[in-house]
Amino acid sequence: MDRREYLKKIALLSGAAVVGVDFFLSGCSPNGTAAGNFSKAQLALLDEIGETIIPATQTPGAKAAEVGKFMEVMVRDCYTTEQQATFKAGLISVDEASQKANGMRFTESTAQQRHDLLVSLEKEAKAYNEKKEKDKPVHFYTMMKQLTLWGFFTSKTGMTETLRHIPVPGKFDGAFPYAKGDKAWAE
Amino acid sequence: MSNQQYDAIVVGSGISGGWAAKELTEKGLKVLLLERGRNIEHIKDYVNANKEPWEFPHRGLMPTQEMLQNYPVLKRDYPLNEEVLDYWVKDKECPYTETKPFSWFRGYHVGGRSLMWGRQSYRWNKWDFEANLKDGYGVDWPIRYDDMASWYSYAEKFAGIQGSLEGLDVLPDGDFMPAMEMNIVEKDVAAKIKKHYNNERHMFIGRSANITQAHHDRTNCQYRNRCWRGCPFGGYFSTQSATLPAAMKTGNLTLRPFSIVTQVLYDKNTKKATGVEVLDATDNKTYEFKAKIVFLCASAFNSTWVLMNSAHDVWADGLGSSSGELGHNVMDHHFRCGANGQAEGFSDTYQYGRRPTGIYVPRFRNIYNDKRDYLRGFGYQGGAGRGRGADIAEFTIGADLKDSLSVPSDHWGMGVMAFGEVLPYHENKISLNKNVKDKWGLPVLDMDVEIKDNEKKMRIDMMNDAAEMLEAAGLKNVNTYDYGYEFGMGIHEMGTARMGRDPKTSVLNGNNQVWDAPNVFVTDGACMTSASCVNPSLTYMALTARAAEFAVSELKKGNL
Repeated sequence: MDRREYLKKIALLSGAAVVGVDFFLSGCSPNGTAAGNFSKAQLALLDEIGETIIPATQTPGAKAAEVGKFMEVMVRDCYTTEQQATFKAGLISVDEASQKANGMRFTESTAQQRHDLLVSLEKEAKAYNEKKEKDKPVHFYTMMKQLTLWGFFTSKTGMTETLRHIPVPGKFDGAFPYAKGDKAWAE
Repeated sequence: MSNQQYDAIVVGSGISGGWAAKELTEKGLKVLLLERGRNIEHIKDYVNANKEPWEFPHRGLMPTQEMLQNYPVLKRDYPLNEEVLDYWVKDKECPYTETKPFSWFRGYHVGGRSLMWGRQSYRWNKWDFEANLKDGYGVDWPIRYDDMASWYSYAEKFAGIQGSLEGLDVLPDGDFMPAMEMNIVEKDVAAKIKKHYNNERHMFIGRSANITQAHHDRTNCQYRNRCWRGCPFGGYFSTQSATLPAAMKTGNLTLRPFSIVTQVLYDKNTKKATGVEVLDATDNKTYEFKAKIVFLCASAFNSTWVLMNSAHDVWADGLGSSSGELGHNVMDHHFRCGANGQAEGFSDTYQYGRRPTGIYVPRFRNIYNDKRDYLRGFGYQGGAGRGRGADIAEFTIGADLKDSLSVPSDHWGMGVMAFGEVLPYHENKISLNKNVKDKWGLPVLDMDVEIKDNEKKMRIDMMNDAAEMLEAAGLKNVNTYDYGYEFGMGIHEMGTARMGRDPKTSVLNGNNQVWDAPNVFVTDGACMTSASCVNPSLTYMALTARAAEFAVSELKKGNL
């Protein structure tokens, strides 16, 4: 990777989904302690949130890509203390919101209920991010969605089954035929 | 204390040092190549070369908090990445001070930054070597393009530079390997730019040190575009893939890693260097090595640091300081601004393979009849590509989102970024900060450098010209950007021991000899008298080979 590649990577990863490019660009500011790991139940919840965003279709989804574990590693190692707190409080609030809306935990609710809840969080996150102070963390849902997309599309299943990946292309063709519906390259 | 004798000592094993070692050993000299960091063996030690993204704990996406703490400088730009973390200096262990902000990105290991470089390889043009004389900034170069042309060819043929022949005075053609191809959108944009600007602006494939044919023991580029991790095919030029094996083959090379050169040993009676002093990073002991000639190729600032630490019995400010220019005239390339846009059509095309270079637009400002309110100019690097992710309604998640992110974008995009020349200002300087010591107890460098009005005015054009060209080429939704530039981010440190015609105003003569010690040569970025706007490494290769030939011929004549 060089300067040119770096910019391309940002563009590629952000894709058509609006997921905090600014957040990625700015990285995060140094902080003190790293937070611990998530519980088994929390990992399962993160997997299900991921799966609701990127479900199994003809190809495996976010759960098969173990995005919960990926989120745990990223939040633990890369997030600031403030971002970790936002993420963790958000994780708890997902179940609270699910209880309120559907009378049960997120993982116990139906696929449609999960979908509807996350769509409402999409809207809430957008409104929140637009008016938040610049140096404050983005909405927790934005974090979860970003990590889901990153984690899935850089996972082995995401790169090789949902996308097309050729580790050693061997040649270059700058006018390679494309038919609508052909999968995108993974990198 | 050992007292080993060599014909030549080369300090530093990056692009310049590797070339010096190759040239001097091939001419029969017994050479000691000193490298302050560890060894990295070709292929064997490229530990991440074949990893897939999912094999990196953070997928190469974001630095960890620990990385941010250990690399307070590197984190200022893209290089801080777990894919290549071992190739960059741990900032905390190698401090420097900043009177004004300066980002210094270093690689302390065999191969230096030749392992991670961007590989863009361009000749300077005839105007670049005349610029200082013409507008009065800095001093006149003691050499001209004609002195360099054959050495550029020599460097290109050995390094393996792919590129197209364009017949332009502003960016002279070289001895290239077959060019990599522009993609369909780049070709379209190039044709439209040519037409719109009446053949006065040009866009073509970025010339790079990636081989497109087998070359020596190296395999041609496999279009993985993972160069900076080290290439298991030897697909790009580095010390490891090219110059080091050539030097080793002669049987004349001794490579000594973990050897921090602390000073050039200078004999005030003969007015020549006798060798160098080395602090061994493994046992913390000091050693002396003797040689008839010394090549300083430790990267611009570190070569100057060695000079500043040398010959204090004669000059308080070090060897080469008699002109008052040692440490001065720091340059880099300023960049991180440009424009991008969207191409319409082309929805039935895509790319196969990951080409490790982009496009290049050579300088068009302040040449021929063009006249701006600033001096000198800039070029563009960039490229077109079709990203991932089709357009989709807001707030969509689930299968529809997955589907849309599984296919290419609806449109191709294209972006360009300008790289501008920085003028040589005497007051832009580095100096020894004797109040701050590194872990070896050695004084660190202080940076006192900034861009001025000329560069700031140029940046406005760098951004606006980019947008104008992309719009002229028919791109839509064209946006300009300026991410801001901090001195050093170009990773093209130049100057601090400039070449010149007069020992009163320069540190080196036209053959890269230190005026005050003719058997000491400096051929890395330190020697640069001006900066041009093109990437500098090819020029270091050519200058080093040229100086090596001169040094050996002088040795044979008994002049050194």
